[in-house]
Amino acid sequence: MDRKITLIKKRTYIHPYALAGLVPACFLLFFYFYPLSGIFLKSFFQNGKIDLFFLDQVFASTRMIKIIWFTFWQAGLSTLLTLICALPCAFVLSHYSFKSKKIIKLLASIPFVLPAVVVAAALQACFGKNGFFFGVKIEHPLVLIFMAHVFYNFSIMLRIITGFWSSLQGRIREAAMVLGASPVQVFLTITLPLLKPAIFAASILVFIFCFSSFGIILILGGPSFSTIEVEIYRQAAHLFNLPLASFLSLIQIGFTFALMWIYTSFTKRAARFAPDAEKANLKKAVFLWEKMMIAGVIIFILLLCVVPLMALVMKSLVYKGQVSLIFYKALFENVSDSIFYIPPFHAIKYSFLFAGTALVIAVITGVCAALFIRFCDRKIDNRWTSFFDPIFMLPLSTSAVTLGFGIIITLDKPPLNLRTSIFLIPIAHALVGFPFVVRAILPAIRSIPEHLTDASSLLGASPLKIFRYIDLPLMSKSLVAAAIFAFTISLGEFGATIFTARPETPTIPIAIYRFLGQPGAMNYGQAMAISAILMVVTAIGFVVIENFRKENSEGF
Amino acid sequence: MENELVLEQINKKFDDGSLILEDINLRLQQGTKLSVLGPSGSGKTTLLRLIAGLENPDSGAILFKGQPMNDIPPHKRNFGLMFQEFALFPHLNVFNNIAFGLKMKGKSKAEINSHVNEMLLLTGLEGFQTRHIDDLSGGERQRVALARTLAPQPNLLMLDEPLSSLDRVLRKRLLIDLTDIISRLNITTIFVTHDHEEAFAAGNMVIVMNQGRIEQKGSPDELVQTPKNQWVKEFLGC
Repeated sequence: MDRKITLIKKRTYIHPYALAGLVPACFLLFFYFYPLSGIFLKSFFQNGKIDLFFLDQVFASTRMIKIIWFTFWQAGLSTLLTLICALPCAFVLSHYSFKSKKIIKLLASIPFVLPAVVVAAALQACFGKNGFFFGVKIEHPLVLIFMAHVFYNFSIMLRIITGFWSSLQGRIREAAMVLGASPVQVFLTITLPLLKPAIFAASILVFIFCFSSFGIILILGGPSFSTIEVEIYRQAAHLFNLPLASFLSLIQIGFTFALMWIYTSFTKRAARFAPDAEKANLKKAVFLWEKMMIAGVIIFILLLCVVPLMALVMKSLVYKGQVSLIFYKALFENVSDSIFYIPPFHAIKYSFLFAGTALVIAVITGVCAALFIRFCDRKIDNRWTSFFDPIFMLPLSTSAVTLGFGIIITLDKPPLNLRTSIFLIPIAHALVGFPFVVRAILPAIRSIPEHLTDASSLLGASPLKIFRYIDLPLMSKSLVAAAIFAFTISLGEFGATIFTARPETPTIPIAIYRFLGQPGAMNYGQAMAISAILMVVTAIGFVVIENFRKENSEGF
Repeated sequence: MENELVLEQINKKFDDGSLILEDINLRLQQGTKLSVLGPSGSGKTTLLRLIAGLENPDSGAILFKGQPMNDIPPHKRNFGLMFQEFALFPHLNVFNNIAFGLKMKGKSKAEINSHVNEMLLLTGLEGFQTRHIDDLSGGERQRVALARTLAPQPNLLMLDEPLSSLDRVLRKRLLIDLTDIISRLNITTIFVTHDHEEAFAAGNMVIVMNQGRIEQKGSPDELVQTPKNQWVKEFLGC
């Protein structure tokens, strides 16, 4: 009888969460790294040869130097103005409890989630022709740009500083007081040194946002004010000077990466100094000066964050001095005879279609990325987490204009010819939304105790079943928040869309931009009406996300 | 002997109107080592916070050496409070944490140096001066917190569950060290705990608190031998 010798091969088992890492890896490889490499190649190589002629175009041109200089100083000044507005408000919100605090915090947060085009439209409505705000008219583009940047970034600055400041209101402050420090000494020796990294981190983040500001500068700045970001768009879309646009994109990437690196090091320091989370001892205003201070902050936040949005709604509802829905009705009618005219209704339809698709792509890739990071956290060396986590965040530090530009110059030929594909826009949107999805899901999945996984495993659950019955239900709230995030980001995305959208498939922000660029009360009114719709949708999304967030009584 | 710390009819309510402390009367002579014993939520920590001036009583008076304390802010009372979670300043090293209170008093550099070194010696932390707070173990943090509290030579020392965040083995060892250090100082001390072993070891007088009231006051022996009511008896496990 033949004896069969069976060699038992050791089966290599790969955990499904490790395999999940392939999804974000491929997504980023094809739609992030490949387009960026395209920008790099376009910058330095012409017809297969190294060509650096554009260096002259940038560094020998006073206009370009002016643009680079303007990008920096407007971002610096915008950051400083935002800080001046946010610091006193952060002081009040982190020290006092008062009746309307919850709603004031919510109102102060809304501007940040609004699309840039809506912000620009709101500022125009408030201070433009027939200014809504007591007839005040501001025509200087620079003033409007600064106002828009403060309006837009105030909430993020306030959120970061207030959250950190209120965590300093507990035992640490009391310990200093008991040791003999007066309130001023407590502020100078304890609060300020501990608060500094948070203030720097918030300032750098706002600087990055203002540095890569696109929609606001494009709409409010007019032809005379241009940042690197706007210039990339002009060079690429208007002048077809792709090598120069690519080189400007490289400059933009270089600066934002450097700033992001500084930001990360400050947030690490802030986290190191952050005292353990504890319930802050919030005061009730007793003295008249305390009550007046709180009233002042409430009025300031209402003026800054609510009045421009009210102006937007009012302008969309008033036609020839009468309350009317004419602008809203016009959105759903084809009022032009031009065959190239796309009714705004289609923009709304496409926007929702793209946002839905972007949501699916961003959530699938985001969940896979979060599962993979959790796998790295627990099963392999922590160093892999520190390696992959920042890689998944890379699209966040790359401007949307650069992403959009990279995508159209690389994904227009085989193997990935998507130039005419309707999927190009949702892919670009998903790329912008992906880091937000990862950041929304990761804390939830990391908070699931390991012994739950171990217990289910011992009870016979396979890794996939653990995902289905344990991990997925436990992270469902964060998943909903992440999905809404991806959806609203897509609805308001402008920088990447302006490159990737085809004329026949515009989105709401593109329609707003087109309306604002055309003369006539009807176009202006429709811009306000469609902006108001977008504002309401994103604000509702934000309120829902806030409700899904883990209740943190003192974090802002 | 004259009473040093006097609490007269102290009452404190939560915002919703429920009582945290009800009719607290207490007289402590100079040098008393008082342990405040009670379950969580009995009002022990609130009592300390009122004495420290971090909160104000709704009614009643706090007197120290005959002086009313109610209107004196915490930084002017010169009382020492060691917090349950230690509340060490995360941006300062060991030396600067201990020196903080002395700096606030405007002491000279030489005085600060000599005093901090004395405290480091007392708490067994020699050589730890430049260490960062993050690099310390739980036991070391507890010692830094004690040294920081003692450095400005407070008139009254209060310790709020100083051993609760440590593991059992360490807690036993540090309780001995802590009571040894306290007994060497001729300073009135209030030691808050929910553990009767700790309370009896640290105090020559103990008050047992329940639901914001003082149930019984006496020496450890008195409490064990003659518990005043069923609740005290059960709580002490007599």
